Amino acid sequence: MTDQEIFQKLADLKNQGIDSTLATIVETSGSTPRGVGAKMIICADGTSFGSVGGGCGESEVKSAALRCLLSTQTPELVEVSLLDDLGTRGGDVCGGRMLLFVEPL
Amino acid sequence: MDVITRVNELLENEKTFCLATVIASDSAEILVGSKVVVLGDGSLEGGVKSPSLNVALRDQALSAINNRKSCSAEIKAGVRVFFNVLCSEARLLICGAGHIAIPLARFANDVGFSVTVLDDRSDFAYPSRFPDCTTVAENFTIALRDMALGPSSYVVIITRGHEHDVDCLMEILPKEAAYVGLIGSRRRVGFVLQWLEEKGFSKKLLKSVYTPIGIPVGAESPQEIALSIVSELVCVRRKGNAQARALRAAVGIEL
Repeated sequence: MTDQEIFQKLADLKNQGIDSTLATIVETSGSTPRGVGAKMIICADGTSFGSVGGGCGESEVKSAALRCLLSTQTPELVEVSLLDDLGTRGGDVCGGRMLLFVEPL
Repeated sequence: MDVITRVNELLENEKTFCLATVIASDSAEILVGSKVVVLGDGSLEGGVKSPSLNVALRDQALSAINNRKSCSAEIKAGVRVFFNVLCSEARLLICGAGHIAIPLARFANDVGFSVTVLDDRSDFAYPSRFPDCTTVAENFTIALRDMALGPSSYVVIITRGHEHDVDCLMEILPKEAAYVGLIGSRRRVGFVLQWLEEKGFSKKLLKSVYTPIGIPVGAESPQEIALSIVSELVCVRRKGNAQARALRAAVGIEL
């Protein structure tokens, strides 16, 4: 999804009264599947729109999103490490780290 | 107006701007999550409760806008801000609504282009043939004369005949666009370019037209050709002209 589609979706969700969080990659180092500015919307029922790279890293972000949506109501910075050993089954082996800002909107 | 509504409004008006968000703060005055919109002329909408920080924020935002690169930076010890440069969706104009236009419009839509299809035949350029696209059924010259193009415009010329290619390029070449591509055999495009050169268009401008069109993947069917064209559009959008040209040069298209 483009940024424009993400912001339109945020507006649609707001109009429908559906609570959502926005996760944005704000910093990266090394190899990451998506770059700075990539975004994903996560709703309270777990539905998501867009992608911040897929895989286990994305599911960490989803957990953080649900935590800030359902429990803390405050934004948080989430660091995702993609530095698993190559032998790790289903591991995040891209070789970099990314920092995401997750905020309830 | 809330910030999301404002962001959508600016994007719809094809503005390039910066959405600054405080992502970390040890100051009780400056809340994490607070947002400021910084426009290209340096004006601020919203702001933090400190004139000097607003100046720092504006300067950093303008530099991000000028570099077209989002980044995060500390604007004061303990206060970190993410500067997200936002610009409107790339627009694709397809001249010619034949076989290739159908998969081309579909693929381009899927990768985030906002698509318009133009043809002078109303039995080709009609909405149900191009879902989620704008269709214009009008004479090429007349329609293009009034059509605004700009730095986020991509144009693909795949009309049914070389005389229509000439009509389209006559109107498009004087305007600004991120990409202009022309389909055709070497003979056909050679004829079109030579004709335009005789009409006074510079060699340099004519050389900027991507022709033959598309990333060379050996495409044959309309769907494959559409894929090759969309790959080129994505390459120009993400990596710029130099990389798209380099890919062509690698197989000897760019001489």
